[in-house]
Amino acid sequence: MGRPTHLSDADVEQFGAELDALRDEVMKSLGKDDARYIYRVLNTQRFSEVAGRALLFAGILPPAWLAGTALLSLSKILENMEIGHNAMHGQWDWMQDPALDSATYDWDNTCPGREWKHSHNYMHHTYTNIVGMDRDVGYSILRMSEDQKWNPAFLFQPFYVLALAAFFQWGVALHDLEWERVGKDKSYAEALSQGRDIWRKVRRQVLKDYVLFPVLAGPMAPFVFSGNMVANFNRNVWSFLIIFCGHFTEEAEMFRIEETENETQGEWYLRQMLASSNVNGSVPFHVLTGHLGYQIEHHLFPDMPSNRYREIGPKIQAIAERYNLNYNTGPFSKQLGGVAKRILRMALPHRRKRKGPMPSSIHHERPAAKTQAQRRTRTNGSAATAAAH
Amino acid sequence: MKPIVRKVLKSSLAKSLTTPLSVDHYLGLIDSKLSVNEPRGRIADVQRQTPDSVTLTIAPNDNWITPRPGQHILFGIDLDGVRHRRCFSIASAARNDRVEITVKRNGDGVVSNFLVDRAKAGQLVYLSHPEGEFYPNVEPPAKALLLSAGSGITPVMSILRSWIDQDCLPDVVFMHYASTDEDMIYTDELDALADAHASLSLVIRYTQEHGRIDGDTLDREMHELGERMTWLCGPSGFMDAAESLLDARTTKPIFREQFEASRREAAQGEGEVHFIKSDVAASGDEGSLLEVAENAGLNPPYGCRMGICHSCKCRVSEGTVRDLRNNEVREIRDTDIQICIHAAAGDVALEI
Ligand SMILES: Cc1cc2nc3c(=O)[nH]c(=O)nc-3n(C[C@H](O)[C@H](O)[C@@H](O)COP(=O)(O)OP(=O)(O)OC[C@H]3O[C@@H](n4cnc5c(N)ncnc54)[C@H](O)[C@@H]3O)c2cc1C
Ligand code: FES
Repeated sequence: MGRPTHLSDADVEQFGAELDALRDEVMKSLGKDDARYIYRVLNTQRFSEVAGRALLFAGILPPAWLAGTALLSLSKILENMEIGHNAMHGQWDWMQDPALDSATYDWDNTCPGREWKHSHNYMHHTYTNIVGMDRDVGYSILRMSEDQKWNPAFLFQPFYVLALAAFFQWGVALHDLEWERVGKDKSYAEALSQGRDIWRKVRRQVLKDYVLFPVLAGPMAPFVFSGNMVANFNRNVWSFLIIFCGHFTEEAEMFRIEETENETQGEWYLRQMLASSNVNGSVPFHVLTGHLGYQIEHHLFPDMPSNRYREIGPKIQAIAERYNLNYNTGPFSKQLGGVAKRILRMALPHRRKRKGPMPSSIHHERPAAKTQAQRRTRTNGSAATAAAH
Repeated sequence: MKPIVRKVLKSSLAKSLTTPLSVDHYLGLIDSKLSVNEPRGRIADVQRQTPDSVTLTIAPNDNWITPRPGQHILFGIDLDGVRHRRCFSIASAARNDRVEITVKRNGDGVVSNFLVDRAKAGQLVYLSHPEGEFYPNVEPPAKALLLSAGSGITPVMSILRSWIDQDCLPDVVFMHYASTDEDMIYTDELDALADAHASLSLVIRYTQEHGRIDGDTLDREMHELGERMTWLCGPSGFMDAAESLLDARTTKPIFREQFEASRREAAQGEGEVHFIKSDVAASGDEGSLLEVAENAGLNPPYGCRMGICHSCKCRVSEGTVRDLRNNEVREIRDTDIQICIHAAAGDVALEI
């Protein structure tokens, strides 16, 4: 639906300045407590992995298999969501610890870190929910917005979604091949070399979880194999659910390319806020989601250490309220219901309802008038550079 | 770590089982000092010989390799959640299985002040393999001069201790300049060594009392200066003065170890520097790219600030840079450079 019309340029500029100030305040205060937090998460993840794999070696006993699989699932979820995803965003680069360096970190799933940093950090975070630019909108197999053209294949998309959830890591791995562009503006050679990178990573992952650990377990091989498979499956479904709740809930806004040309920093923030949706939950829930329950905060400040999203959440919500912007949040069940509805609705051929100039949740009041803004263009955030890319 | 355990942990099987992480990540569960490749250690002892310095004895892990005398390490420590790396000379004898460094307070410097005031036994520190060419592969000479000032005493201390440790002490004059006797480190040990070894003579000068290094003092205190190989370390002003005095008096080799960049012409650049990740642009006119970044409010990592440690390595997406050591201008793309010794020579896009 694009930018709400109740805000003037000056309002948007002021909005951006408030967010910049909040960001600076947090980034300046990073220190040992944050380091202690992430090291605790690292240790928990490693400990649960070692314990989980050890228990699976005794997997013939059902309680050991269950506990082992649970611990390994926990480890894989923590590693992908709270550690890998966030480290590759550069959230911990300020610590200068090579073990958390965004330039070299690679996560425990079939998608090579380098590929993912392109498709996710760059394409998705810069062009969030711009239909036609952000390939995370439907991952090129689903229809998530009225602005995507319908065709009969989308009738079956509820089934594709279930398959995607089960095999999410594989979907993510293949995602960056951008196969719909291959042979058009992307060469087969480029796709092939990417494909080789993916294959190398896939081979190592498969070798570890489905060959080496089972073989080492000797007669326990089937239990180790199945435990690893279930742990990967659990991680896939969990990350799928969290990620879909982040941008495809009912109220999440979609944007058209024309709406986002020459975006200023303030407008970019605005789009990030309106395109993202949060999920309420307890602290452990947030840790397990990699703090993507704070999707709005994450999209505003992708490189801020995740543990700080909890702290700034209420402040962001207060800013949103002052500017009469929708701070899209709700319990897991509500957000998930919204996602399901969107998937079902978009399976059917209908176009965007023209709701008038603005979403119903936004009112016409304006914050106090501000002086005329100077537009600061964000170099890596403007759709203009995108079009050139 | 037992050699067999090490071998297993270094095997490609261990690598495949821990991919995409590494064995070290799991060893950390037992003790963060453990690693299959990286030298790390813990502070075993802390001595404060003077109010402005601290002497640390470090117990390294198995990855420590024996240095040559006078080499230095890139020492890393976590302060407030941030890993800092700085160069320090090894002061201990080369074959010592403990590593000793002595750190002097450097202005408001973060690391030196922390160590001098708050270093404690037990603390984990990151080491590097020893580096440096202060003591090239030469036979111990018949006659030597070890000449130092301030914290520059550390690498010559290592040379002296190594000679004694290996029973090959030549005829040595150990000449050191400290600002006052309060600032003099290693006093007791040097006195004891001079008492024990007839071929070692000490000349200790306090600049506040005796003034800076000069030719008269050298001629008066030093016998057979023309026959001595010299190892020289100290602040750059001291080294420059000492070197020209020595050049006039001896033709034997002079080896230098430098702790700080010698005063080059004020680093000047031109063009615009764009820090891509931080989305900040700054004029590249003044200083090295490292200084431009710092002045723009960024905190890129660094160690020596003089082009020897590679801590400041950073990727240039594209741009024209000048190497401040030889003024060579290069046009580069997707290349890592040491930003402490490069300035902009045109527009530069840096991945910071
Ligand atoms: C090969 C080698 C061997 C060395 N061996 C030794 C040794 O054995 N013992 C020893 O004590 N030292 C040694 N040094 C020097 C040592 O590395 C430095 O003194 C180091 O301790 C400085 O680190 P720091 O964190 O204390 O200071 P830093 O924080 O790096 O600051 C360095 C200096 O710059 C000043 N400064 C910092 N930031 C700014 C700013 N923004 N603007 C202006 N000034 C600023 C500080 O006040 C300080 O004087 C060696 C150096 C080299 C290269
Ligand atoms: S800081 Fe050591 S090489 Fe630049």
